[in-house]
Amino acid sequence: MTNPYTPMLILVALGAGFVIFSVGLAQIVGPKRYNRAKAEAYECGIQPSPQAAEGGRFPIKYYLTAMLFIIFDIEAVFLYPYAVAFDQLGLFTLLAMFLFLLNAFFIADAYVWKRGGFEWD
Amino acid sequence: MPTVFEAPEINWAAIAPMLVVMAGGLIGIVVEAFVPRRRRHSVQVALSVVALVLAFVALVTLTVDNRVKTLGGSVVMDGMSVFLQGSLIVFGLLGVLTMAEKFGGDRPDAFTPMGAAIPGSAYEAAADRAGLATSEVFPLALFSLSGMMMFVAAGDLITMFVALEVLSLPLYVLVGLARRRRLLSQEASLKYFLLGAFASAFFLFGSALLYGYAATTDLDGIAAAITETRPGLEPLLVPAILLVLVGLLFKVGAVPFHSWTPDAYQGAPTPVTGFMAAATKLAAFGAILRFVYVGVEGTRWSWEVGLAVIAALTMVVGAVLSVTQTDIKRLLAYSSIAHAGFILVGVLAFSTLGLRGVMFYLLAYGLMTIAAFAIVSMVRQGGTEATQLSQWAGLGQRHPILAATFGFLLLAFAGIPLTSGFTAKFAAFAPAIESGTLGVVLVVIGVLASAVTAFVYVRIIVLMYFSDATSEDVVAAEASPLTTAAVAVGAVATVVLGIVPGPVLELAAQASELIR
Amino acid sequence: MIAQVVSSGVTSLALDGARENPLADFSDTPLWLTAIKAVGIFAYLLIQVLLVIWFERRVIGRMQQRPGPNRNGPFGLLQSLADGVKSMLKEDVRPKASDAIVFTVAPILFASMAFVAFSIIPLGPDVSMFGYRTPLQLTDLPVAVLLVLAAAGVAAYGVIMAGWASGSTYPMLGGLRSSAQIISYEIAMGLSLVAVFLYAGSMSTSQIVAAQAEQGWFIIAAAFSFVVYVITMVGETNRLPFDLAEGEGEIVGGYFTEYSGMRFAMFFLAEYINMFTVSAIATTLFLGGWQAPPGIAAINDGMFNEGWWGLLWFTLKMWLFMFLFVWLRGTLPRTRYDQFMKFGWKFLIPASLVWIVLVALVRGADAGFFGDSTFGILGRDFPVPVLFILGAALLLMIIGFTLWDRAAERRRAERREESVIDVDPFAGGYPVPPLPGQRLVEPGSARVGRTQTDIHTDASGSGAATAVVVSDKED
Repeated sequence: MTNPYTPMLILVALGAGFVIFSVGLAQIVGPKRYNRAKAEAYECGIQPSPQAAEGGRFPIKYYLTAMLFIIFDIEAVFLYPYAVAFDQLGLFTLLAMFLFLLNAFFIADAYVWKRGGFEWD
Repeated sequence: MPTVFEAPEINWAAIAPMLVVMAGGLIGIVVEAFVPRRRRHSVQVALSVVALVLAFVALVTLTVDNRVKTLGGSVVMDGMSVFLQGSLIVFGLLGVLTMAEKFGGDRPDAFTPMGAAIPGSAYEAAADRAGLATSEVFPLALFSLSGMMMFVAAGDLITMFVALEVLSLPLYVLVGLARRRRLLSQEASLKYFLLGAFASAFFLFGSALLYGYAATTDLDGIAAAITETRPGLEPLLVPAILLVLVGLLFKVGAVPFHSWTPDAYQGAPTPVTGFMAAATKLAAFGAILRFVYVGVEGTRWSWEVGLAVIAALTMVVGAVLSVTQTDIKRLLAYSSIAHAGFILVGVLAFSTLGLRGVMFYLLAYGLMTIAAFAIVSMVRQGGTEATQLSQWAGLGQRHPILAATFGFLLLAFAGIPLTSGFTAKFAAFAPAIESGTLGVVLVVIGVLASAVTAFVYVRIIVLMYFSDATSEDVVAAEASPLTTAAVAVGAVATVVLGIVPGPVLELAAQASELIR
Repeated sequence: MIAQVVSSGVTSLALDGARENPLADFSDTPLWLTAIKAVGIFAYLLIQVLLVIWFERRVIGRMQQRPGPNRNGPFGLLQSLADGVKSMLKEDVRPKASDAIVFTVAPILFASMAFVAFSIIPLGPDVSMFGYRTPLQLTDLPVAVLLVLAAAGVAAYGVIMAGWASGSTYPMLGGLRSSAQIISYEIAMGLSLVAVFLYAGSMSTSQIVAAQAEQGWFIIAAAFSFVVYVITMVGETNRLPFDLAEGEGEIVGGYFTEYSGMRFAMFFLAEYINMFTVSAIATTLFLGGWQAPPGIAAINDGMFNEGWWGLLWFTLKMWLFMFLFVWLRGTLPRTRYDQFMKFGWKFLIPASLVWIVLVALVRGADAGFFGDSTFGILGRDFPVPVLFILGAALLLMIIGFTLWDRAAERRRAERREESVIDVDPFAGGYPVPPLPGQRLVEPGSARVGRTQTDIHTDASGSGAATAVVVSDKED
């Protein structure tokens, strides 16, 4: 029996090969007509505002979203093995999991919610 | 349906104090979410105090009679755990009292209204005008305290690591919340966090190696594995122990790992500094004691010289560098480093008496530290704390009682007889002398270092009483009964432990048993 | 202690842990056959992408009462192929300010990772191929579904890389928005799957399909999870009504504004493959996978549940979801960004959690955690505690709705009180939309005089409006 990840790699390699081939071929087949305006950043026809890929600042809100995601997603991941092994774990673990949900999700959620962490504008 | 999973035995009475403190923190979060802003502060303070008092009651009524290993051996409630947890709860109570101080304003004075704002920005000013307050400090302190309580009682390395993180993460946040000199505070927080994360990694590396050696993370299991020979695995053992010790020694601020201490102490809000200096040190030493005495004592000859060198370095560097300090908080930070070295001398005694001495020292030192930092937070100039030593000149003439109390606490730090500092040093050093040549050498270094620190402290006393004030507007702020109570408790305890240490020493002696 | 738990856990897996591990048996599948299957899946996906683009344009066309593309090939079937060739022959422009490597890697990464998920989807039962007995599935893992979520996470990298590397304002904003959107809805998506794992006792896709053969399709038992999943899958694929990252009116094209030619086509391709992926997951987890619909399954002793028939049912079910995507696009306008995020964080996540608690209780009762007494309905036995759980849930729901209703009523009343100010929209000569707290009065109404309106407009200027908002913010 082969490693169960090998077929996955075959499929990804196929996909990646197709994608790289297509993009590469387009470079060869496609026309190249240089035009200075074409190489500018697109801003609906106005002069592109001088802003930068490197050094551009992200709004802090996105960091908050990212942190909330990390916290809640890790907690969600804890639920998976628990759900899979549910039958063997019994009542004690059921109650423990409810306690975990109460502490980690509901209280945390209530706090973030009430203090405006879920307000986007 | 087969039920293979066996739920571990849980002795609820034994872990009740920890649960109460954690529940207090969680309820604090809910309070933060649902109680109107005006009433949050008073509700939080009341809640924290109630939780801590309840925890203490639970400790002295339930836990003392349930000295067991519980939760499958990951929590060990023996005499040491009970004594240290009791001390931690007392520190927590005093810490909460000092954090609640408002100095006549309507919000806790030491904390910024908006921790996430850029220092000096319009946003911060708006938050200040809007009357926001970071009343999260109380739940954070409770969480940190619960981590510390778990830290001293941890029976395996994984629980110890979890406790280490639970106690550290809230502290990183607390350090960055000072109301004034925000940039300094944020810098302190970041430094503390980065170095702390680094130290945690060391602890984890060491734990992994120990697990590789012993095939268990249980301290008892490790102790048992050390008594057997494990061919081929021996080279793992000493690096593992040293790495774990690095992680733990970082938390007490022992010398090669002390560089965060002055910055974090200086940048943190002063009440937090007091709480941190007292409680973190105690918790970390509790963990060191358990790791060293229960886990790896069997191989002590191979690493105790290293620990002794660290102790000696800690005492010398802490004492010498405190001479050059011009900021009172930094000075106390270096003094706390020196004290960590003194306590390590007691740890290296490897005896029940040594255990007693260390526990007594930790309690005495914590009480005086919280009081000392509370006084530092009261001395102000133009609304901010006057932490420059030059600002303290002539304070004794204007505020005799305050200066006298502070002077007395400094004498206790120096270890002058009739203060708790003396009895504590005696209790820690005496067993070390009995333990052998190494102990004698360390004690000699310790006494010399004490002499150096005594010079520093006496210099401050001279400054307060015998030099003229540089400016007249340095005043001791009118403190609320809360801070006054904390200072009074600290000072009185320092006197009592210095004159009649008997009962507490007796208590510590009873508590110096470790369940293996 | 932890060592004990770990070791006892391991023995338990060895004892009765058959359920966690995949059911699909690949022992009779040589590597070359796996390669053939991989090529098959690859072709299956590409052809369907070409088809679905045509399908979408035709169906949208019908919904908007126009024919849609009908020139190339019969019924315009070759339109997508022609478009593909066209994008191949177009110039592939790269802006001056962009980062050369990341700009090219982003679409390649995004498109390559889109294929991963399909390797664990069971397209059918065991079939015989070239004399070997092999499942109609490329591979299976004990953590198969988790792997799909991980691959979906990599998509966020492609998006943020594309947005960042373009060196332009709109792609940057679009990339941020889109990644925030993907990660926000990923939590709700992950939580909606927990109920399925609770029922199936496995994360392996073949096991989940088999569990549905026993317990009935999970769309019934985990109905709420299904609804949450369908909403989040639309959010995850950036499709209308949640296509905020590409909202033409707001940020031009979002993260691929600067892309053109084949690199753009790769994003396009990947987005459609992602649609198929989420639909395939929905089919596998909630609609019984490749199994025949209940009526047909009973015909001739399960004849239609065997062999290649599975592929047909699977494809049909998947296309149901594709039609849903198109239908939504034809029907709904785009949501606002804050509404979208609010819905995800304030409704989907908490509601999913409550639902998980409920499912866990029911499952606990099923497993006999609360006692063994049972009662029978419709020929099936249910444990008695289920009654209590359902009753309590019902009670909670009633209380919740009552409270919510009262709160909503209060809010409405407040709004009524606030909106006392009538304004004439044409007061200044131009039509002006009302500010918060104002109510429009039709210009024909004689009761509103000019001067009066001016005063009102001043009184309810921006200062007063913001003051209200600020005081609302915290407590």
